[in-house]
Amino acid sequence: MPDSPAASPTVTQPLLRAQALFCERDDRVLFSGLDFELNAGDLMQVQGSNGSGKTTLLRILCGLNASYEGELFWRGVPIDEDREAFLASLLYLGHRVGVNKILTARENLRWSCALHSPVSDADIDAALRRVGLAGYADVTCRNMSAGQQQRVSLARLLLSPATLWVLDEPFTTLDVHGVKTLEGLLAEHVEAGGAVLVTTHHALTVPCTLRRLSLDKRGVVAA
Amino acid sequence: MWQWFFRLGSPKWFYELSGRWLPWLYVAMTVLLSVGVIWALLFVPQDYQQGDTIRIMYVHVPVASISLACFPLMAVAGVITLVWKMKLADMVAMCAAPIGAWFTAVALATGAIWGQPIWGTWWAWDARLTSMLIQFFLLIGVIALRSAIESQDAAARACALLSIVGAINVPIIKYSVEWWNTLHQPASNFAMDNESPFGPEIWVPLVIMIFAVYLFFVISLILSTRNEILVRERRSQWVVDLIAAQKPQGA
Amino acid sequence: MTDLTGPQVSTFTAFRATLRRDLLIALKRRNDLLNPLMFFLIVVSLFPLGVSSDPQELTRIAAGTVWVSALLASMLSLDNLYRADYEDGSLEQLLLSPQPLYFLVLAKNIAHWLVSGLPVVLLAPLLAYMLYLPADAYWTLMLTLLLGTPVLSLFGSIGVALTVGLGSRGLILAVIVLPLTVPVLIIGAKAVADVSLGLALGMHYSLLGALLALSLSLAPLASAAALKISVN
Repeated sequence: MPDSPAASPTVTQPLLRAQALFCERDDRVLFSGLDFELNAGDLMQVQGSNGSGKTTLLRILCGLNASYEGELFWRGVPIDEDREAFLASLLYLGHRVGVNKILTARENLRWSCALHSPVSDADIDAALRRVGLAGYADVTCRNMSAGQQQRVSLARLLLSPATLWVLDEPFTTLDVHGVKTLEGLLAEHVEAGGAVLVTTHHALTVPCTLRRLSLDKRGVVAA
Repeated sequence: MWQWFFRLGSPKWFYELSGRWLPWLYVAMTVLLSVGVIWALLFVPQDYQQGDTIRIMYVHVPVASISLACFPLMAVAGVITLVWKMKLADMVAMCAAPIGAWFTAVALATGAIWGQPIWGTWWAWDARLTSMLIQFFLLIGVIALRSAIESQDAAARACALLSIVGAINVPIIKYSVEWWNTLHQPASNFAMDNESPFGPEIWVPLVIMIFAVYLFFVISLILSTRNEILVRERRSQWVVDLIAAQKPQGA
Repeated sequence: MTDLTGPQVSTFTAFRATLRRDLLIALKRRNDLLNPLMFFLIVVSLFPLGVSSDPQELTRIAAGTVWVSALLASMLSLDNLYRADYEDGSLEQLLLSPQPLYFLVLAKNIAHWLVSGLPVVLLAPLLAYMLYLPADAYWTLMLTLLLGTPVLSLFGSIGVALTVGLGSRGLILAVIVLPLTVPVLIIGAKAVADVSLGLALGMHYSLLGALLALSLSLAPLASAAALKISVN
């Protein structure tokens, strides 16, 4: 279950706040003076053309990329001051799905969850069933299609207690059914008080409000 | 103090300051180097055992002492790069590595030339030569890593880390190599204390040479760093202005 | 999704899970497990062919031969340490764990040593026999390898972590790491040589132990920092 932000004493603070973010790559400014806030219950789509820095922005927010200037706050506290608390509430799924091909789906999930909080085999089975991989728990990931491997990583969404999901192009290899499932998961998560930051070229159809952060126009565009 | 420290981090400030210093450094180096070389070659008495061979000490010892100082220098620059993300520190570290490697190579070569008449062989697995050789390998590693990583920022931080790891290792390597084998005369011979077997007529020119070669190293490092500053800051306004101002003179 | 409201996972759970995962991967890739060992065996066998088959000659070079070969075998096996994780994205997951990276990297290093260092230690007496090492030096050889090979894994890990993102790694890993391993090689080989001379070995063991303690406490930190730089 995502931990409820209502229980937090700093409820008035936005979950994630970025202030005056600046990033430059190979002498080219990707974005500068970027400000935005992400509140509990927000689903925010990061938009921009190819090479506009969407992936870079997500990696900066997660702390995987340190080549930036500006300030990042988690629940009002600078992230660097309490990185552990931030990481405990973060779930990141990148371009590379984080699924080892030699291991089975179960072995992969068992490890990646144990890095945050361990899960039982029954939970893994339930999560795999939800993402349409019933019966695949003990199949070596090498024998799965790219879409199925992506689904294995999506199962982590169901197994993680994280409040903030940062998803980089999670829809790319999914079929129509997988897209539906993921959209459902996103909606459920924000409804339960979580927050999602997602990049995708896919047109999201979700029952909740969708905020947009456009890197081409620099700033939050309400939608 | 801190304001000064961060101003030092500005490449522009460093470029202007070093530009004002350079002429003085040139003068000081020329004077010290000519005095040192003439004194060492013509006026220092022959060693009662080594004869004229002793004169190579006046090149070997200063050069070797700088090669030993190179890793600590790169490690300090590395810490500054990692902690304060100061770009100038990385430029200095980047330029120091090849210069340090050249100094180490010269120290090895002069060591070999000195060793030939003394030990009767060009190369001996003597403790200090060996640890100098390993340090040369470490420097080559840092240079290789720098050239292998494409992203300048990642290369800066990776080399900073490797320099720190290397600097922690250098004393361990030195100690273990000494423990392994020792042919060389103990380093204390060059200590400038009262118990030194050398009289002032030997060590005063040595001190002069050490200062002269240090100045040579500093000047090389400054020139190299200034080039690197111009390359990396080529898009900033002050470099554009600087180059525009130079053009008419060159034409 | 029922038992997730429990207390924060301990660092130990994450440590154990990482260790288990890496051992599991190693077991599933037997070839990767065997190759460094075969390499070790072949390199050692090359020395009698290249140097001399004279027993006295071989006795003299036995210690150094085994140690240098162990060093090279360790180099060869290092590439597996983070590369697959880097390529499939698992490394990012590791770096985003709220647990201290020191312990997670340490777990990976221990797993690497268990599958690449320990077999070398166990195989060493056989090779020592083939090189006519005096029987009284076997234990010294094994003990020094037991203390020294973990240091090789820990130092090597820093080098791999620094180079894992490079497209063409080539020999750069060896160029970076080999000079760092000189002290281990010197002390280990000298201990085996000195035992044949009947010298006391307390100093050798304590030096190797000190190196192991130093690298256990510092090297995983350097590896973790290097991994962060490499995924940047």
